[in-house]
Amino acid sequence: MTTIQLPPLPRVAPALTCDPAAISACGADLLAASAQVDDLGTFVAGRARVDDWTGEAATAYHQAIAPTGRRADAMSLALRGVAHRVEEHSAEMQRLLDRRTALEDRQQHLAQQVAHLRAEVATTTEEGAAELQADCDRVAGQVQAYETDLDTWVSDLATEESEMSQAFTRVLGADDVDRIYGGVADPADGPLRDKPGAGASPAEVHAWWAALTAAQRRAVIAAAPGAIGNLDGIPASARHAANTVALGRDLADYAHTEDAGVLTDDERTCYDNALAADEARREIEGRHDPVTGEPIVAQIYIYDPAAFDGDGAVAISAGDLDTADNVAVVVPGFGTDGESAPYQADRAATLYESTRVLDPSATNASLFWIGYDAPDNAPWDEGYDGAGVVTESMAAAGGERLADTIDGLRASREDDPAHLTAIGHSYGSTTTGHGAHDHGLGVDDVVFVGSPGVGGDTDHASDTGVDPDHVWAGSNSRDPIADLGNHGWVHGETVFGAGLGDDPAEDDFGAHRFQAESTTRGGAYSFGDHSKYFDHDTESLANISHIVNGDYDAVQEAEHLHDPFLGPVEDPEYDREPTSPTTSSLTP
Amino acid sequence: MEVVPVSVGEASRAWDEQHLDLDAAATQIADADTSGFTTHVRGAATRFLAQWQRHAEGLGTVSEQRADGLRTTIADYVTSDEATRGDLVALLTYTQEVR
Repeated sequence: MTTIQLPPLPRVAPALTCDPAAISACGADLLAASAQVDDLGTFVAGRARVDDWTGEAATAYHQAIAPTGRRADAMSLALRGVAHRVEEHSAEMQRLLDRRTALEDRQQHLAQQVAHLRAEVATTTEEGAAELQADCDRVAGQVQAYETDLDTWVSDLATEESEMSQAFTRVLGADDVDRIYGGVADPADGPLRDKPGAGASPAEVHAWWAALTAAQRRAVIAAAPGAIGNLDGIPASARHAANTVALGRDLADYAHTEDAGVLTDDERTCYDNALAADEARREIEGRHDPVTGEPIVAQIYIYDPAAFDGDGAVAISAGDLDTADNVAVVVPGFGTDGESAPYQADRAATLYESTRVLDPSATNASLFWIGYDAPDNAPWDEGYDGAGVVTESMAAAGGERLADTIDGLRASREDDPAHLTAIGHSYGSTTTGHGAHDHGLGVDDVVFVGSPGVGGDTDHASDTGVDPDHVWAGSNSRDPIADLGNHGWVHGETVFGAGLGDDPAEDDFGAHRFQAESTTRGGAYSFGDHSKYFDHDTESLANISHIVNGDYDAVQEAEHLHDPFLGPVEDPEYDREPTSPTTSSLTP
Repeated sequence: MEVVPVSVGEASRAWDEQHLDLDAAATQIADADTSGFTTHVRGAATRFLAQWQRHAEGLGTVSEQRADGLRTTIADYVTSDEATRGDLVALLTYTQEVR
């Protein structure tokens, strides 16, 4: 009777209970707090000094505050260092969790093999013993390799936990901080000193950033998030990191000031904008890529809660702007300000989902862009922004800002340009038209939807500076806003300065008109139909997504509006039966 | 007694802002979530947050003291014989802590 040497059962990997996302959030809080401490150091070296005050008291004051500045500088470096280590710990713990999952799979597979071999032993014959032993030896080798990998994983986990704990304890006391960081120069100082000045081109800014080391970049993001968060030419990932620090700091500041009962009206406005930006980011991060099932990446590309007299500026993408094959910039219109961010985030995420569904092979990013002072309210309600909606002044100013943003996106991806599409909705189409006509938009395609006019100087698609074959218009036949544009020879903007330019869906304009009817359209003009262009499973969203993906042959074109010399404007789409193409989920 | 310019009052207000901001940072540190760490690390993380909350509060307290010190300087000056009427009007608003 031959004895068979069975392989041992593989050990089960120890449990690992942790939450990398929560660890990352802890690191983000510490980084935001470090920026606040850093501000104290900067304050002491600058605004705290009273240069027109002289005499003994002044001398004593300036001597007394200097140590506070040094202490703040050292403490901000210490706290920043721990915050960065916590971020690294989050990433490392995720890797360890992934490795554990892989080990668990291997363990279960090997355990099944061992059980199978044990059953074989009971039934094998003398003739089959040699072959069975060979199988047992092979599996034993695999178990041994697994056990080695498990030991390595256990050791790596212990090392990581130990190093993280040490990072927390080595700067626990004020003396430790002073000993390690006292008098140490901030690695952000040099880069900030060399930063291109105001008026530098995005390309110059990008060249400056590209020349920094990884450590210098991290330092700048932590020490001076406001210096790069909204700076065109900086890559989106770095802008996001900086704006995340700024947002975290602002939320903490405003919440504390509110609790203290001393929040001013202006600060209340900024706080509301900051809360809206945070909600918008969460809206995107809470959605899932329909192809991979992973949470959608959100990037805060612009964050300035005090911009435009408190209306606020914010732009957040669904998807990675630095790497996506296709990038869409959505320019909203009437009724938009910083507090609209969650609503616009829903649109950006919906467009992202649709573009992914219609071309799973391409990567995408959709950026909602509240980067200009849009007409955000009715003049009889809150102020005079609403009056701007009937003139082009706000669109003209916004168009310049949009062109800067597009230049920034291009400059940060010089070697890997995305297929870039600007989408203007409502008054945002007027802004987009001005950006294109007045400044030139470096985009591959431009899309106007629900447009009340694309600017008085743009009479034809070719006036946008974009190849007319890549100028698109979507206009729902029931949308009353889309009916406001000039038709035929009548030009409203010449009448008392009112009117916003030509209707891009009209035949004379020379753009492609795509189908944009809704199955839920009203029987007559309905303001609700002005807000359906980005809804899932609509003709409009499907066609916009095909354009964003560069899949032009898939676009369902519509007959143009026509304005006969005599009689009303004719819209061939009015009587067409709308369809409902699927954009929300992958079809089997 | 030397003249105390209005900029001293502005500096006192700025120190008050620092005080508020650093107290906010202290709260942010204290409220940071440690639940994501493993049990082996959580203790060190919790001790760190508690200690650094005090560090940040300490910086806030120093800032408040600077603001108070400057206000005292202003108050001493406006009650002295050296202050002119123009100085008094400009500086009086800075003798009180606003926030």
